[in-house]
Amino acid sequence: MPYILNTENDIKEMLRVAGVATLDDLYKHLPSQIRLKKELNIPSGFSEYEVKQSVTSLAAKNKTINSFNSFLGAGLYDHYIPSALKPLISRAEFLTAYTPYQAECSQGILQAIYEYQSYICLLTGMDVSNASLFDGGSSLAECVLMSLRITKRNKVVLSSLINPEYKKTLYTYLSGLNFKIQEIDFDAEGFTDRAALKSVIDENTACFALQSPNFLGTIEDIEKFSSLTKEKGALTILVANPLSLSLLKEPACQGVDIVCGDGQVLGGSLSLGGPSFGFVATKNEYLRQMPGRIVGKTVDRENKTAYCLTLQAREQHIKREKATSNICSNQSLNAIQAAIYLSLMGKDGMQKCALYSLNLAHYLYGRLSEVKSVKLSFSQNFFNEFIWQIDDAKSVLKKLYKRKIISGLNVGNFYPKLKNGILSCCTETKSREQIDNFIETLKDILK
Amino acid sequence: MDDRLIFEKSDSGIKASYVKKPEIGLKEPKEILPANCLRSGLELPSLGELEVVRHYTNLSKRNFSLDTNFYPLGSCTMKYNPKINEELASLEGFLNIHPYQNEECLQGALELIYNLETLLCEITGMKRFSFQASSGAQGELTGMLMVKKYHKVMKNKKRKVIIPDSAHGTNPATSSMCGYETKVIESDKDGLIDLDKLNKAVDAETAAIMLTNPNTLGLFEENILEVAEIIHKNGGLLYYDGANFNPLLGVTTPRLMGFDAIHLNLHKTFSTPHGCGGPGAGAVGVVDKLLEFLPVPLIDKKKDDFYFNYKIKHSIGKVRAFYGNFSVLVRAYAYLLRLGREGLVRVAQNATLNANYIKERLKNDYNVASNKPSMHEVVFSCTKQKEKGASALDIAKRLIDYGVHPPTMYFPLIVKEALMVEPTETESRKTLDYFIDSMLKINKEIDENKEILHNAPSAAYVKRVDEVKAARNPDLRWVREK
Repeated sequence: MPYILNTENDIKEMLRVAGVATLDDLYKHLPSQIRLKKELNIPSGFSEYEVKQSVTSLAAKNKTINSFNSFLGAGLYDHYIPSALKPLISRAEFLTAYTPYQAECSQGILQAIYEYQSYICLLTGMDVSNASLFDGGSSLAECVLMSLRITKRNKVVLSSLINPEYKKTLYTYLSGLNFKIQEIDFDAEGFTDRAALKSVIDENTACFALQSPNFLGTIEDIEKFSSLTKEKGALTILVANPLSLSLLKEPACQGVDIVCGDGQVLGGSLSLGGPSFGFVATKNEYLRQMPGRIVGKTVDRENKTAYCLTLQAREQHIKREKATSNICSNQSLNAIQAAIYLSLMGKDGMQKCALYSLNLAHYLYGRLSEVKSVKLSFSQNFFNEFIWQIDDAKSVLKKLYKRKIISGLNVGNFYPKLKNGILSCCTETKSREQIDNFIETLKDILK
Repeated sequence: MDDRLIFEKSDSGIKASYVKKPEIGLKEPKEILPANCLRSGLELPSLGELEVVRHYTNLSKRNFSLDTNFYPLGSCTMKYNPKINEELASLEGFLNIHPYQNEECLQGALELIYNLETLLCEITGMKRFSFQASSGAQGELTGMLMVKKYHKVMKNKKRKVIIPDSAHGTNPATSSMCGYETKVIESDKDGLIDLDKLNKAVDAETAAIMLTNPNTLGLFEENILEVAEIIHKNGGLLYYDGANFNPLLGVTTPRLMGFDAIHLNLHKTFSTPHGCGGPGAGAVGVVDKLLEFLPVPLIDKKKDDFYFNYKIKHSIGKVRAFYGNFSVLVRAYAYLLRLGREGLVRVAQNATLNANYIKERLKNDYNVASNKPSMHEVVFSCTKQKEKGASALDIAKRLIDYGVHPPTMYFPLIVKEALMVEPTETESRKTLDYFIDSMLKINKEIDENKEILHNAPSAAYVKRVDEVKAARNPDLRWVREK
């Protein structure tokens, strides 16, 4: 039997020690009504060879983005992953360890997470970070819950330009509780409408959450919102792309209280959207309301530097129904992967990655502006993706797809007033040739 | 040994060259974007690849892991993580697919999820599964939000959730996140649900009970059918925390036990690696009456084509972006194919046998928390040792010197000086014997020289860590020295 090491002899001897006659007798105290009367109706086990064949053939049925000229982004991005990353993160000592509850035999994991926390603080400018949450969506939800605990207020205000998947997650997370959520619209240039926020935010508002670059790609003027939020004693939560923070101003310098988001861009593959990881960073004063694991630096008995999980009095295994969150397992391996990715890329690598993405996206924007029927009405303050519009977008997308181009995401499903809006993205992996090919094909289709 | 952080090894002269310079005229950020949205400096280290490789390789060596050490961490099911699963999860066809590609491009992935769902439905008796949740706790949240919405749609006035005092901490924490009041019921002297106390606690306002079976003492709740009857009679639902499902594979199902909603920890029962604490996957299954409440989307099939089905009448929505930890699902699927129907029963039986073997061999030296038959794990109560001057913590730390990862300590909360041992089915009798011998030796050491235990571990990378200092003066990140 695969993966089971007890031989028939072992079993015999162990049953004898346990004082039980047969393996089935280990279950004789179970009520007979609940015992399965026959074998499960699933196939018998396959050889490793057969499993490999079968699963590999499923993988082969997928058409990866590498078989297209793809401009898809919208929350998950195709960045180059240095070859050194995989062998390091696949090391069994990381891969097959559990949560580092036992500090003395988990120092390497703990130091790596401490480094991860430091990296998130360096990128965001915030004081503290946790050891990761599940993904961008659930990290936003956890941050909103955190703001509700801190302010003891009951209203949440959201920019409608937060990633729609994240918004949906937030609504679900809050659906069992009695809080009010209000969304504010966006203006003609693709920015969150500040006037709308002003009319909605009040003394009951716990937080205002926005995303920058927002879902349409536009970089928000964050301070214009955080100042307003602060006036009402509410917190500002920002959903950020950590890679963009290699160029963009630190959220901490823009009046933001809590930063969160998805870390896939830091060395993660697309993998149909998971696993990535969620990050959270905040100010010192809110540390004890932050959900999730936290690693701290301390010493051992001989005063040597050591690390351990800390501030666990916030967590479910101690505080139970009064915990800051129910989170237990997180996405540690992905967080450590991010720390290794950032270490490999280094300052220069990260800046280049962001700079090239920015330039290529703006080059694409420029080239699209040459195409007569393309409408570019939003602000040019974008990082690596932006919205363009064209009549009958759906059929244009389909025609491009037939020519092996995935030009982006039609955002009409999320924003009805942008039914012909296409969100296109360039990361540093795009080449001029690919962008030119997209434009020439588009022109050809529109002829 | 070099204890420096990666930041302290930085050399500003080193530049990485992983990405390609585009063949277009490059502009500076400030020529493209307004100055007020750009940062002035970026404090990230600069290192050569070899330095990074050496740094993290060395860090990896300062840990115990399943591949290097016996890891009998109770409630965590640290079974072997087969290597074939890693290889398959890394196939290009699974790594480089974007969730917003056309369904036509994703057929292999969708088929895999669909097949995995079919297998898990048969194994648990549930009608359907959602794979969105990234962990057991998130699975609980998903399941309990469905329970909440179900009662809302049915116009049932419910506000309480019943949870035994032996439950995982995630259960009460989840109940609170759903806006329920948690009603804790005390276990009986054997560590099982006390039916009298349950009867008294349940009323028309009871929304659900959250249960682990076998429970956290490693005991099967023999009165599970009576429990189900009491809860159902009062219009409540049964939620199954599947963290301990391993010993029941192919033996019984949550459906037969009377559960309405469940989660399975694919990173426990179905062999996917724990990765220092994640990613995992919480597969959430439900019976008929909760189908309309599942998260969107489900994977359905029309003729030969698989598609994302968003038409779920009372769906609770989403608990994360996209469709869950897909590459974890690939591993669990490969595992299930490999084991098959006979294999799963053998898993359950051997997991149970291994735990019982340890229990029988140690029960004269260490008190067992309950006299009831054990399933996949056994909880020892080190009260005799405590009286002699060595706590469960000391014993746990001493095990590190023997090269064994400590069992779960001080849990469940209802057992004094608890050590919870879950060997899993993938360990050999030789390994179990080594563990047993180590535990016996440690017990002797308490009589001979308990200082060894107080000073343990002595052979680890660091000596005992000062966790109090860590909490009192939080140092949670690196800061450049001025």
